[in-house]
Amino acid sequence: MSVTKKIVGVLALQGAFIEHIQHFSRATENGYSKYQFEFLEVRTEEELAQCDALVIPGGESTSMSLIAESTGLLEPLQEFVRTKPVWGTCAGLIFISKRVENGKEGQRILGAMDIQVKRNAFGRQLDSFVTDLDFSAFIPNLTKFPTVFIRAPVVTDISLSKAPHSYDVDSIIESSNSYVNTGPVEVLHKLENGLVVAVRQGNKLGTSFHPELSDNYSFHKWFIDEFVI
Amino acid sequence: MVEFKVKAGLAQMLKGGVIMDVVTPEQAKIAERAGACAVMALERIPADMRASGQVCRMSDPKMIKEIMNSVSIPVMAKCRIGHTVEAQILQALEVDYIDESEVLTPADKVYHIKKNNFDVPFVCGARNLGEALRRVSEGAAMLRTKGEAGTGDISEAVSHITLIKEQIQHALSLSTEDEIAAYAKELRVPLESLKDLIARKGQFPVVNFAAGGVATPADAALCMQLGCDGVFVGSGIFKSKNPEKLAKAIVNAVTNFQDPKKVLEYSTDLGELMFGVSIDSLKEKEKLSTRGW
Repeated sequence: MSVTKKIVGVLALQGAFIEHIQHFSRATENGYSKYQFEFLEVRTEEELAQCDALVIPGGESTSMSLIAESTGLLEPLQEFVRTKPVWGTCAGLIFISKRVENGKEGQRILGAMDIQVKRNAFGRQLDSFVTDLDFSAFIPNLTKFPTVFIRAPVVTDISLSKAPHSYDVDSIIESSNSYVNTGPVEVLHKLENGLVVAVRQGNKLGTSFHPELSDNYSFHKWFIDEFVI
Repeated sequence: MVEFKVKAGLAQMLKGGVIMDVVTPEQAKIAERAGACAVMALERIPADMRASGQVCRMSDPKMIKEIMNSVSIPVMAKCRIGHTVEAQILQALEVDYIDESEVLTPADKVYHIKKNNFDVPFVCGARNLGEALRRVSEGAAMLRTKGEAGTGDISEAVSHITLIKEQIQHALSLSTEDEIAAYAKELRVPLESLKDLIARKGQFPVVNFAAGGVATPADAALCMQLGCDGVFVGSGIFKSKNPEKLAKAIVNAVTNFQDPKKVLEYSTDLGELMFGVSIDSLKEKEKLSTRGW
């Protein structure tokens, strides 16, 4: 029987990258006899080039962006997102968006999804929280997932047809990537108050929250099944 | 009460990052632009506190608020060891993390703050396993070495990191309940917290950063190679001649700590660094790291 090798990278410039690698390792321990997985910390262009898919973890989105730029990884990342599957969690969601609200001068983003994301949308650390969410609409049987939001962003626009309005224009950051994601933006999950916290566009996935901080590996397994293999 | 996972989770997001001491909104902006993952807002950096010889307290909330308003990354602030009310004030101010810090003059010579009673997460210094586990059992959601703040001498931080590692190895080598109980007693920690550490194969339930005496990209990379999750830089950056460049270089060195060629690049042409005070020249009572119990 032939075995297919898949390398899933986790961007390791700053943030909670080890947690993703541990979750993927556990999520793929059983049931994948046709595949051999490697989960790789990505800090350089050479490491990125080996990957079949990439996860951009939580961390500080400004730190991640500035480190990517000053270590020469920004352009390779912008190139990578043109074709390969990518999942951004929290700061990663900000990094893969096309437009950021409440962004910082000099912050660069990858423009992989046609979404506008608002940083620190819930407020400061005291407004961080955990809540059980029902993801069974897109992940079979996942009706109660303990979902951790930490200084989390939310998706505030999924069309980007109109120019940004009514907020501080100085804090709007637009991606310089010319890539056009041709898939439709699907809202995977909204909170009860209407805030959009999980979206998909083609082979790109964005979540406001941190499945890697939950003790449940189902979300990571779903990413492997749905986006990687 | 806020779940512990949420408190410790923010520290997990700070990993692989650099947290910088800043005394003005302008410095905070420089730190943010350099890629700092958080800033510590304080009135005077440790090197100046050390020089002043005065009682050092929580900073004026007005100044902390100005820094909170000037950057979008998390803002931490320090309270005195055991000073529950300063911590309550900082929580009311809604800072993102409180550092119960030996750099300030301790308010309580016996007890630390009961951090489980707070919604804002705390970071605490530790120079040995006993201090680390006591702080965790009090509710600290993040640890750091104490090092010797305000000196630019990395040796104390290195010895704290090494000692904690050795003590963890020792704990893991214990085979009987009696030995574990005796070691918990020796460390002056609750038996449960030592057992939990052993069950976790020596991993703390919270992240552990290096702090105290980090002055160069090489110092920061050294701490990372020794196993720390990230780095606090206090006086080092804004006591140097070119803070912006040094700040960026330390951030990049922490990301690429395993790559000597890159750390070489980040270490080159940084201009004059902080003056530095050799720890050996300090009298025992002048050491800030001996504060805390």
